Amino acid sequence: MVRKKKDRGASGPVAATAVVMVLYITDSGPNSVQAVANLEAICREHLRDNFRLEIIDVLQYPLRALADGIVVTPSLAKLFPLPIATVVGNLSDKSDVLRALGIVE
Amino acid sequence: MDPAVPLTNPSLFGTDVDRGFKKAILHLVKGGPERRAIEAGQIDAIIDPESGNAILLPATQRALIERKAGFRSLIGLAFDWYWELDGHYRFVSHRGATGDADAFEEGMIGKALWELSIDNMSEADWRTHRQQLEWRVIFRDLEVRRVDRAGGEQYLSISGEPIFDDRNEFKGYRGITRDITERRRAAAQEPYRFDRAILDALETPIAVLGQAGAVLSANQAWDRFAATHSGVGAGVAAGSNYLAVCDEACGTEQVDGRAIAAGIRQVIGGERAIFRYDYACDSPGGRSWFALTVTGIAGNEKACAVVSCEDITERKSGELLLGLEFTVARCLADAGAATAALKSVIRAICETQGWNCGRYFCMDQSAGALRFIESWGVPSAVIEQFLEKSRGMLFRPGAGLAGRVYQTGQPLWILDNARGAGVSLTALAPETGEEGACVFPVTADKVIGVLAFSGSGIRDPDHRMLQAMQSIGNQLGRFLQRQQAADVLRRSEMRFRVLTNLTSDWYWEQDRDFRLTQVVGCGAFGITDTLGLTHWDLPHVVLADAGWAEHKSQLAARWSFCDFEVATVHPDGEHAYYSISGEPVYDEAGTFTGYCGTGVDITERKRAEIGLRESEARMRASLARAHPVGRRPSRQKTS
Repeated sequence: MVRKKKDRGASGPVAATAVVMVLYITDSGPNSVQAVANLEAICREHLRDNFRLEIIDVLQYPLRALADGIVVTPSLAKLFPLPIATVVGNLSDKSDVLRALGIVE
Repeated sequence: MDPAVPLTNPSLFGTDVDRGFKKAILHLVKGGPERRAIEAGQIDAIIDPESGNAILLPATQRALIERKAGFRSLIGLAFDWYWELDGHYRFVSHRGATGDADAFEEGMIGKALWELSIDNMSEADWRTHRQQLEWRVIFRDLEVRRVDRAGGEQYLSISGEPIFDDRNEFKGYRGITRDITERRRAAAQEPYRFDRAILDALETPIAVLGQAGAVLSANQAWDRFAATHSGVGAGVAAGSNYLAVCDEACGTEQVDGRAIAAGIRQVIGGERAIFRYDYACDSPGGRSWFALTVTGIAGNEKACAVVSCEDITERKSGELLLGLEFTVARCLADAGAATAALKSVIRAICETQGWNCGRYFCMDQSAGALRFIESWGVPSAVIEQFLEKSRGMLFRPGAGLAGRVYQTGQPLWILDNARGAGVSLTALAPETGEEGACVFPVTADKVIGVLAFSGSGIRDPDHRMLQAMQSIGNQLGRFLQRQQAADVLRRSEMRFRVLTNLTSDWYWEQDRDFRLTQVVGCGAFGITDTLGLTHWDLPHVVLADAGWAEHKSQLAARWSFCDFEVATVHPDGEHAYYSISGEPVYDEAGTFTGYCGTGVDITERKRAEIGLRESEARMRASLARAHPVGRRPSRQKTS
């Protein structure tokens, strides 16, 4: 599954430049579902139209995960702005996620 | 190849297995954050670095299995079978949604859909469907009909989509089948359900009869009518034979039953299109009237006629009461005397309302009480005895039913013996078995009497009934008042006539042209045929023109005249003398209408006067001869 999202209406500190991310999930695994929900909340709060998100289901696109060097799912990879950062797990630790995205709370 | 390759059998949930699995996983994961995330249970799968396949952790496996099971359960609600076809459109799999392995047809594996026992698809329909399959398109709700194992009709709705492999090559079709038999049956019944709802919404009882008169169908109003009424046609529920019930009617309902049955047969037989009949029916609330209408049905094998019964009780009661008012008016117009009028009015009321007897009590001012005047009752010894007892009764104002009605001026209804504490036994007369009484006032500007009725059919009065009673009471009151006034006038006229007869020989009246319009007595001037003639036109009347001129001027001046003397000479030479007196008559508007007066035969007096004058004349002549003029008569000495 590949999903690309843009969110609108941020209510918290906003990233200055557009953030490009890829979230690797495993279909509707419990942690994957939670990761999607947590990331959507963070994007709504801190990113307006200032992001580009791609969601990859590794069960459908296993080679993509391998090519991108993903080890576990769910994993969030921030590709831009540099440096590239990765957060693994269900993204329930919001501060970790914001730090990886370069957003100061 | 299934990309999710579990390292352990997902059906095993032992703790040792999980720990061993986790240990194997941790061998593959070197990074600290990844290991910590695994330990924290935040990871669903790890990627095999050699193949790229995702290795699901046990918890994730269990979650996906449960989700799949739940999805299957939901899907099972949406269809009855799941099937798959191969590339040649032959069934390779057919399972029940709930896991039931029974296909909707035995031996369908290996067959194409058009090779099954489907009987509603033509060759053209199958060609169209096969074309869809050739085009590899999704098809939805292909409805087919077949005969199921039980021999009944079965309707199925089939939907499918093509299956392609990883190389995008066509592999076959998969899809679902739903049994829509019940839905089709319900849809077939839907128009009738709507029609039925309309029929049940109507208040008029309606039933559909078959060829033999059986009630094939009836609306709810008909069922209620059948349950609450007795009499002709009542109690005929759906399934019963309406004609048989009508034929079997007996007693007072026999005539109605036979008439209705004959009418229905004529409609069913096509002799007439519509039959209408009004009839009465007894119910707990009293007598009710119904208008029966039977209408023929064409173009239906089973149904032949529609019967409807409209409750026309209110209208009929109104008609009866209006008729009663007219009857009362006619009775009063035709009756000569007050007693005859009272009896006919009481009878008309009793017969219209079905009451057994009625009595009229009038206020006797001298006694200060209501006195029995007149009555009528059905021919019955008990009723006659009851009425006879009433003859000597007196009711003071406020006493008994009659006295209360007289005092209040309002009607009183007693529906049964249990009501009306203080009701006089004489009013209800339990020995007659009467269950109720009705008493209402007779009025002419004020209450002058009361009418009291007894009967077993007395019901709560409605507005129309009260209106009718008020009208009748008023009509009767005014009639009695006029009769009373007429009696007084007649007596006065009688006294006047007697007096006139004592003081005159005849009484006469003239119109405005002075022509005689009435002569009562011995005839004007002894002449019998005088009507239409003036006094001066009467034959044999002798009077100088000057005399008539003076009399006419008096009449023209509308003066009263007294002792106007006229002579007549009859053919036999006899003289007669008459004296008439008269005065002008005016109507209520003050317009002159003529004269009236009396006449006296003064012949004897006149002859006596004439004789006296002649005698005086003879005496004077004698004296004159005996004592000529110049010679004084000698005085004779008297000693």
